Amino acid sequence: MVEIDKNLQERFLNELLRGNRFECSAIVRSLAKSNVPIKVIYEDLFKIALYEVGSLWEYNKISVATEHLASAIIESLLNENYLEIISSKRINKNVMLSCIEKEHHQIGIKMVDDIFQLNGWSTYFLGSNTPSSEVLSFAKTINLDLIAISLSIYSHFPDLLKFIEKFRLLFPETFILVGGQAFEHGGQKKLLEYYNVIYLQDLNSTETFIKKLNNYE
Amino acid sequence: MNKEYILNSAKLLKKASNSACDEFSLKSDKLISEMNLEMLNRSDVENLVGKNNIDMMQDNHSNHIRFISSILKNYDEEVLVETILWVFRAYRSHGFSTNYWAVQLNTWMKILKIQLSEETFLEVQPLYEWMQINIPVFVAISDEKLEVPNN
Repeated sequence: MVEIDKNLQERFLNELLRGNRFECSAIVRSLAKSNVPIKVIYEDLFKIALYEVGSLWEYNKISVATEHLASAIIESLLNENYLEIISSKRINKNVMLSCIEKEHHQIGIKMVDDIFQLNGWSTYFLGSNTPSSEVLSFAKTINLDLIAISLSIYSHFPDLLKFIEKFRLLFPETFILVGGQAFEHGGQKKLLEYYNVIYLQDLNSTETFIKKLNNYE
Repeated sequence: MNKEYILNSAKLLKKASNSACDEFSLKSDKLISEMNLEMLNRSDVENLVGKNNIDMMQDNHSNHIRFISSILKNYDEEVLVETILWVFRAYRSHGFSTNYWAVQLNTWMKILKIQLSEETFLEVQPLYEWMQINIPVFVAISDEKLEVPNN
């Protein structure tokens, strides 16, 4: 299995904290050139860096401004790699992706979007803080095979459950994937009470799930 | 006393009834504004939260009520303990004193008793008492990860 070494992770983090988008981009391009899979770059470089940035804010080592700068750079790197992400082999499947209402952290669900695209799906990415009623209205306009929802803050868990209940009334069978940092310390047991709701903890398990769906067809 | 102790004690707390959760959630804005009013009227507020941290304190009050509202409805002891520990680490790192937690929880109790119905107050009281009693444990556990633990 391909891994990104610790020195490179540290270098990337340092450049990120300095706001050096150019160097961060160069690191990502060199990894892509060495055939490091996008999923590994996301999990072992971006995710690790973002968790570390969060931890540095927690211990008052960096400001909110630096934290936002780091997030903005990573988001720009996600968009920069779009051409490598889009799969030439398209399959006839649609997924809609969104953060739950009031949530502003969309990087995780954007990575999930890319994993679906890599596996040939057509994606409808609604991003952060989209009102639930709008998500439901939009879902009715496309031929939806699956919805993926991100929850970063546990305080919004009741909003997620309300959304699942409303969605289920409109789409009785459609798979609902749920993930996000809110579940880092638990809470996912409750999701098992709902029909066809699946909690996936990372991009690896997400991709395994997508591949199973693709093979099943 | 360590994290295992606190997790075991949190297992004894119970999920609140739907009616209590609904009342708590419905009154959340009022609870937050009463809390901010009480704390801002204190002459020692800057000693409690540190210099230039009033906005952060008010954010904490909003986050507190939203989190408690969520945990009352979907009780999970691990989420509860880990979130409180995160709050202690993050806010202490940013200059909040350990006394703030005692003052904050005492004030919440006072406000909840006035604003909530008696039935709902009796349902949320055990959780708040558990948090109050365990402040020293949360301080001790969060000390382990802080470079310069404050008072």
